[in-house]
Amino acid sequence: MLSVLSPVTGTAVGLEEVPDPVFAQGMVGPGTAIRPEPGLQTAVSPVDGRVVKLHPHAFVVVGAADGNGNGGKGVLVHLGIDTVRLDGKGFTALVAEGDDVVAGQDLIRWNPTDVLEGGLSPIVPVIALDAVGDVVSRPVTGEVNRGALLFQWA
Amino acid sequence: MAERRVKIESKVGLHARPASLFVKAASAFDGDVHVAKGDAAPVSAKSILGVMSLGAKHGDEIVVTAEGEGAEALLDTLAEIANAD
Repeated sequence: MLSVLSPVTGTAVGLEEVPDPVFAQGMVGPGTAIRPEPGLQTAVSPVDGRVVKLHPHAFVVVGAADGNGNGGKGVLVHLGIDTVRLDGKGFTALVAEGDDVVAGQDLIRWNPTDVLEGGLSPIVPVIALDAVGDVVSRPVTGEVNRGALLFQWA
Repeated sequence: MAERRVKIESKVGLHARPASLFVKAASAFDGDVHVAKGDAAPVSAKSILGVMSLGAKHGDEIVVTAEGEGAEALLDTLAEIANAD
């Protein structure tokens, strides 16, 4: 089991609340989504591993092998929907692509309030990439703190 | 084996939405489908992690290969996805 932590503080509402069918229908992968608390904040890594992809508004961390079959699991965190359009404005990366990080480590500073004022949804999908079948269990719903357990990935 | 060079016209590159559609189309194909960018090793086009890790941006060229019945038609579909917004 890989424990996936919440990258932001807010309210876990499930993927069906994401205003983008590709996420809402689980096409990117299973997982959940969090409505982040307002204001300037820092998104943290959901797992121990390597930042294999870093966009201003999104990142993928692939878990290190731990001897329990958890190696190579990639978690996508997307900070808001269609935020690629902001072209990085309002997002500050605190690590570089290729860096090794630990779960709970600060990765990106951003402000969901600015995203909302820009006319976009600041909801944060957290996705288990290439997860096949019913392997994501016990997703938390309701209030969740940054760095707290969000779901388990078998 | 069918091969196609595709220039990414999608403004966001092969990021979350187009990458998901790309992988969904590739996964529906029976044979092997691979995608590569530059000199890096090809990745399975059926892996969302692999495709997103390519980091193919607007204007980049990718090479997609497919092996099996209907490979050319699949490559048409994948090229279309890479070029849609």
